[in-house]
Amino acid sequence: MILTLHLIALALYGVATVLALAQFVGLRSVPRALLIALPCAGAAVHVVGVSQLSLVGFAAGLSMLALCLVLLSLVSERLLRGSAVSFFAGPLATGLLGLAILTGLAPGAEPSAGRNAWFILHVALSVLGVALLALAFIAAALYLLQFRELKSKHFGQVFQLFPPLERLEQLNRFALIAGFPTLTLGVLLALGYAARFAGGLHVGKAQIVWGLFTWVVLGWAVWVRVVRRWAGRRAAFASIAGFAAVLLVYVALKLAQPGAERFL
Amino acid sequence: MSVGIQVLGVNHRTAPLEIRERFAHGPHEVPGALARVLAAGAAGGVLLSTCNRTEFYLVADDEPAVEAAWSLLGERLGGTARAAAREYGYVARDREAVRHLYRVSAGLDSMILGESQIQGQVRDAWEVSRAQAGPVLHRLFQTALHVGARVRTETALGMGTASAASAAVAVAGKIFGDLAGRTALILGAGDVAELAATCLTNEGVQVTLVANRTQERARAIAERLGGAARALTLEEAWPHFATTDIALCSTAAPHAVVTWERVGDVIAARRGRPLCILDLAVPRDVEPAVAQLENVFLYDVDDLQTVAAQATARRRDEVPAAEQIVEEETDLFWAWYGGLGVVPVIKEFRGRMEHLRAAELERAMRQLGHLSPEDRARVEQFSQALLNKFLHQPTVALKAAAEQGRGYGLLEALRRLFGLEAPE
Repeated sequence: MILTLHLIALALYGVATVLALAQFVGLRSVPRALLIALPCAGAAVHVVGVSQLSLVGFAAGLSMLALCLVLLSLVSERLLRGSAVSFFAGPLATGLLGLAILTGLAPGAEPSAGRNAWFILHVALSVLGVALLALAFIAAALYLLQFRELKSKHFGQVFQLFPPLERLEQLNRFALIAGFPTLTLGVLLALGYAARFAGGLHVGKAQIVWGLFTWVVLGWAVWVRVVRRWAGRRAAFASIAGFAAVLLVYVALKLAQPGAERFL
Repeated sequence: MSVGIQVLGVNHRTAPLEIRERFAHGPHEVPGALARVLAAGAAGGVLLSTCNRTEFYLVADDEPAVEAAWSLLGERLGGTARAAAREYGYVARDREAVRHLYRVSAGLDSMILGESQIQGQVRDAWEVSRAQAGPVLHRLFQTALHVGARVRTETALGMGTASAASAAVAVAGKIFGDLAGRTALILGAGDVAELAATCLTNEGVQVTLVANRTQERARAIAERLGGAARALTLEEAWPHFATTDIALCSTAAPHAVVTWERVGDVIAARRGRPLCILDLAVPRDVEPAVAQLENVFLYDVDDLQTVAAQATARRRDEVPAAEQIVEEETDLFWAWYGGLGVVPVIKEFRGRMEHLRAAELERAMRQLGHLSPEDRARVEQFSQALLNKFLHQPTVALKAAAEQGRGYGLLEALRRLFGLEAPE
C-alpha cells in the first residue's frame, strides 16, 4: 500500500513536471489549473503514503522532503502566479521521491527511544527547514537566470515564464530567513530528544564538526541578508552557497557512513 | 420574410482614423441610433463603437434596416459625403456575421493582434444595447464573450506585449513585479515621454519628478500627469537617480545626457536596489556604459520594439488555434440559431392542426349519423390524410430553413399567423 501510494504520487509529480517543462521548451502551454491540480492530487496521495511510514530512515526522510518541496512549490506558485518554481522543484521532488522508492520504502523500525512529540517535531521541523533552504536555493537560481536575461536583453522563455526579480528576491529572503531557524530548532529538538529519551547523543565527531560548519555557512547567508542588507545577485549567491553547503556535507557524510537505516 | 443576422460597419482596415473617429458613437448616442434602425424593421440591434471600429449588429431582413444603419453612418460624414459611408465599410451576413463578431471578441480582428481590451468593449456594447438587442443578439454577444474568454484561456494569443509602450511596462514589471507604488522620474517633456508615462501611471506608478531643459514645459507635463509630480531642470535631476525606481528618458538632446560621470556615483549609493532606465529617445539619452552598473537595467527603443515584435510573432503562431475555436463556436451558434425552437414550434403547430381536425370531424360525424362504421373510418382516414398533405410542405420548408440557419424568420411568421406560443 505504501509503495502504491508513493508510485501514484510519483506518477502525478512526473506528469506535472513534464507539462511544466514542456512550455519552457516552447511547446504549447498547459492550463495553469492543470499544473496546480496534478501536484495537488499527488501531494494528497503522498500525504496518505507518508502517514503510514515510520519517521526513521533514509527513504522516509527523502519522501518527506519531496512532499515538503511540492507543498512549498504550490504555495510559491500561488504567491508568484507563475510555474517557474516548479521548473526546479518539480524535477527535484520527483527525483527525491523516485530515489526514496528505489531505496526501499517500508513501515520500518520505530525510533530507539520511541516516537513522541519531541521526535515528531524534530523530524517535521528538520525536513521543513531543509525544504525551505532548497526553496531559497531555487529562488536564488531563478533570480540569477532572470537577472542575466534582463541584463543581456534576451527576452526569451526565461523572461516570459520566470517571475519578476523582486518577487524572486522576496521568496529567496523569506525561505532563507524562515529555513535557517526552522532547521536550527529541528536540530536542537534532536539534541533534546537524545539527551532526555535516548540516553545521550549517538553521533560521530565528523557529523558534529560538519554539521556545525553547515550551520555557520547558513548563518552567514542569513546574517549578510538581514544585518548587512545584501540584496540582488550577492544575496542570491549567498543563498546558493548555504544550500550547497547543506547538500555537499550531507552527501560527504553519507558516503563516509553509508546505510539506509538513518537519514543522517 | 428572410430575417437573418447582419453586421455592417467600418474598422481600422477599411477606413483611416480621421474617418473612423467621425463614425464613433458615445454610449449616450447608442440607444437613439439603434431606435432608428429598429424603427426601420430590425428585430434587434447592437452597436459596437471603439476607436478601431463602428459596427451595427442587426437581426433584420436585407434592406430597410440595413439602409437605415448606413444612412446613420453617412450622416456622420455630412454634406455630399453622406453616400460615401458604404465605400469605407463592409457587410457580412448570417454565419459570416457570427464568425466576424467571434473573431472581433477574440482579438483576431484587432489592430494589435490578441489585445484584450476589445473584450471589455464588446461587453460594454452589449450592456448599452441590451434593451434593444433582442434574444438572438443577446445570445450572440453572450457567446462572443465566451469565445473571447476561451481563446485567451486555451491559447497564448493574449500573452506578451505587442506595442513598445506596453513593452516598457512589461519590462519594468519583470524587474519590480507589481508596479503600483513604484516611483518614476521623467527626463524630457516630449509626447513620447508623456505617452509612456501615461502607460506607467495606468499601472499605478507614481511619477514624482519631471525634468526638462526648460522648467515650464516640465511643469505642464507634471500637471497633466496629475498627482504630486514636481518639475525640475535636467541638472537638478541627477541626484534623484539614487531613489527613483524607473527613469524614463526622452529628451531631444543630440547626445547622451545620462552619463556614467553624472549618475555613476549616485546609482552606486542605491545599495543594489534595481533601477530600470527606459531610454525612448532617438538619438539615445543614456550612455550605454551606465548599463554596466550593478542592478541597472537599461532598455532603448530597439530593445522595447524587440519585446513587442517577439510577442507579436508568438501571437501569430497562436492564430490557427484561435481560429479553430472561433469555427467550433460559430458552428455551435449556427446550430442553435438554425434550429431555434423549430422542433417545439412544429410540434405545437401540428398539435394545433390535429386538434382542429378532430374537433371538425366530431362535428361532422354528429351530422352524418347514418354512416356505417366502415364509412366513418374512411372519413376519418380522409381527414387525417388531408391534414398530413397540408402540413407536409410547411414542415419540410421549416426544417430546411432551420438547417440553413434561416429558420428564425419563418418561425416568427408561423407563430404570428397561427397564434403559437413565443419561445422562452
